[in-house]
Amino acid sequence: MPETTSQEEASKAFRYPLRWRVMDALNAGLDRLWPARMMPYTGWALITPALLLVGLLVLGLFQMADSSLHTLDRATFLPSEGYTLENYQTVFENATYGRIIWRSVLAAVLTVFFTLLLALPYSYIMVRTSSSAVRKALLVVLFLPFFIGQVVRAYGLLIILGTTGVANNALGLVGIEPIRLLFNFPAVVFGLVQYMLPFAVLMLAPALTAIPRETETAAASLGANWFRTFRHVVIPMAKPGLIGAGLVVGTLALTDFAMPAMLGGGSQDFIANAIYDQFFRTADQGLGAALALLLVVLGSVFVGIVISIFGAGTLGMGGKK
Amino acid sequence: MRAWGGEWVEALKKGVSDRFTEMTGISVRHDLTEDNEIQPKLWAAVAQGRVPPIHVNWDTTTNATKSALRGVTEDLSDLSNLANTTDLAKPVGLDGYPIVNTYGYVYVLAYRPEAFPDGPPKSWRDLLDPKFKGRIALYNDGIGFHFPAQVAGGGSLDGIPDHMEPCWEFVREIKKQNPLLGEDPDFTTWFQNGEIDAACTISTNALAAKKNGVDLAWTVPAEGCKFDTDCLWVPKNLPENEAYWAKQYVNLALSQESQQIWLDGLGLPGVVPGLTPPPGLENDPSYPTKPEDFKHLIRISSAVQVQNESDWFAKFKEIMQG
Amino acid sequence: MTATSQRILFWTTVWFCILILSVPTIIVVGASFTTSNMISFPPEGFTFKWYEKIALARDLQQAFFRSLYVSTACLIVSVPVGTLAGLALSRFRIRFSNMIQVYLLLPFTVPLIGSGIGMMLIFGEWRILGSLWPIGVALAVINLPFIIWSVSSAAGALDSDLELAASSCGAGRFETFWYVTLPGIMPGVITGGLLMFVLAMSEFLVSLLLTDARTVTLPVQIYNNIRSIITPDLAAVSSVFVVIALIVVWLLDRLVGLEIFLKSK
Repeated sequence: MPETTSQEEASKAFRYPLRWRVMDALNAGLDRLWPARMMPYTGWALITPALLLVGLLVLGLFQMADSSLHTLDRATFLPSEGYTLENYQTVFENATYGRIIWRSVLAAVLTVFFTLLLALPYSYIMVRTSSSAVRKALLVVLFLPFFIGQVVRAYGLLIILGTTGVANNALGLVGIEPIRLLFNFPAVVFGLVQYMLPFAVLMLAPALTAIPRETETAAASLGANWFRTFRHVVIPMAKPGLIGAGLVVGTLALTDFAMPAMLGGGSQDFIANAIYDQFFRTADQGLGAALALLLVVLGSVFVGIVISIFGAGTLGMGGKK
Repeated sequence: MRAWGGEWVEALKKGVSDRFTEMTGISVRHDLTEDNEIQPKLWAAVAQGRVPPIHVNWDTTTNATKSALRGVTEDLSDLSNLANTTDLAKPVGLDGYPIVNTYGYVYVLAYRPEAFPDGPPKSWRDLLDPKFKGRIALYNDGIGFHFPAQVAGGGSLDGIPDHMEPCWEFVREIKKQNPLLGEDPDFTTWFQNGEIDAACTISTNALAAKKNGVDLAWTVPAEGCKFDTDCLWVPKNLPENEAYWAKQYVNLALSQESQQIWLDGLGLPGVVPGLTPPPGLENDPSYPTKPEDFKHLIRISSAVQVQNESDWFAKFKEIMQG
Repeated sequence: MTATSQRILFWTTVWFCILILSVPTIIVVGASFTTSNMISFPPEGFTFKWYEKIALARDLQQAFFRSLYVSTACLIVSVPVGTLAGLALSRFRIRFSNMIQVYLLLPFTVPLIGSGIGMMLIFGEWRILGSLWPIGVALAVINLPFIIWSVSSAAGALDSDLELAASSCGAGRFETFWYVTLPGIMPGVITGGLLMFVLAMSEFLVSLLLTDARTVTLPVQIYNNIRSIITPDLAAVSSVFVVIALIVVWLLDRLVGLEIFLKSK
């Protein structure tokens, strides 16, 4: 299109192709809207929409903060008039919540560890394999579970790991009596790892791709065995990817609801399940909101510590130094 | 119209919704959000002065009582069919009819007969048999279990809500059996997959599992079972004509014919006299009709329940999450 | 090149991953052909009746199209916003960037129930509850870190000298962005966009709080059904999803090549 236009017009008077003119107009518009002297603020301008979008959540958090400062009046089921810290006191004084919080944190840590342990070799093979077919197959395996959602996947695990399920049948073939594989803490962690694995691999793969193969060869030619090459070359270079994946897996696991609800058999509640109970079962929104805010603080502190130890740009993976 | 899914909504559709559409030409859409999960949505809508997302809520009487106390329900006392209902329809501890009970149900002890070769369990204490370790299930907040546990733990019903120590003692004993804790659908799944031998659950769930081919029976042990009701109510803030038709829907649900069809599907006793029990449920402990049927059933006023439920749930969780 | 012990160890891990990733999917697809009324595996008999049932279920189809609409709305919001933010984080020096990253990870640190209740109250206050598009916006918010991450990882790997070269050759800022930066980060945008779309198609908890009977989306419908009695038609729905997934992946491979997910430049 632009070419024909420019040819026709060239006969009348010389004019730049349409595309150039559009670009120039856009440039001029940009210069007027956002003059070059504003350049130092461009970063802020670009990030503002995201800040505003997440601001929706913050508005919600303010509502939560407000309701967390009222207790529930069980005669009218309305929040109390006055402000009080009683809900927070309840959380801190009740041993059950302490146990549940500890359980969530422990599960998040274990999930991060096992997920990365599995994701690292998976991404490594996927990136390094010379066969394009193998690579594609590994990617497809990764993508399919995304499409069937967490609840249905958890249900699939229920069928597999059940007392009469496939796993126990397989054990039966080698003469092992059926054992209870479900409804305990390891089952919940297993479910979380299964759920998080695709996320982690997808986040690790680009970081591994960025490591030149030659670096490894060089290490090997200097006499390092593969384990040492991996430990001293690959892992440090993949660190931004590992941190990014760890952050995502850790925060998602910490706040997860469905896996403990479905695979925990009711006695493996996480904080999110306790929040659910307060909001939906006992209609005590104030206590639920207090728990939710504590969870946000806990998660944010965890993220903040990781980022300040390992440096900025971990979510942005190697941003401007 | 909010309803529970599966068997529940099928029965309602046949008994009430389809007839309502036939009579008024208004088609009925069923919202299958859980009763617990729609509650904050309704409360927020009324608090913010919005039109609520549903017209009629099918709810447990305990949950509905909370909504009634909060003042988000329409008054239903002018419904014409109320004249023909039994005492069961009247909510206990509330003024007038902010909600109307539509049927009763029993939290029975459901069990797999092959796990009980000596006949049905006679007492809740039978569940403490070591062979049932990890093979029994309760609701995850203990609902339906607190009151029989109070008796099984050696206490009396007069001790509710002030002296519940026997109940917690028994719950602690049960905890040593590593019970599974879940909600309605979990029980069906667990029975079906052979994960459990016995559960304290609403008879309708047991009936549904049985209909789907799971070998199941149920009983009311010596200590008794919790009896409770479900109800219908209409949220405030509906446009006037919509509120009118919503009330008409509730009214229809109280008619003899609708009750018969709806409750045949659920296998539960209704609130109008003269209903014919569904085949096989005559004289069944989960279908109480006569005064002597109620002798073994425990009914606690919903006012006491809503006042103390949170504490009971918290205490139950504290023991179970340990 | 690689040592045998490494190969054995890594491939064992990979096969284990393949197993745990695929088996639930296979079970669910298999269970959709069972003749019994309950989900079971191995399936009893073989039938297409559950597919027939969902093909006739108008409510499921409507819910599916609503989900498509919501997911598209989520893409329209999240792709531009996430791309710009990803660029900002990786290409520009921003003060307080540590705090900003903690802030931008809020969608993951706030539990979904909290996000759902919060946005229900906000949207209710603004009187936009009951429309479909706010659900798309909400889903864009709760998954935003994914697209920010994928764009910024692509942009971080892009050599900024390229942009300098372009502008020193007289390209304006917009041209530099359009012809140099954007193609460079495209793999990240595509990966992020796909993730956002797929996650929006399967999110149920926040959606549950923002929908009503008129706007119920497919994952909410599935979740509500699972809460009552689980019948094989749900397995059939999931199987249809798997087929759709395969088609999408195939199309993507034909159009841009699957390897785009591994590229960082």
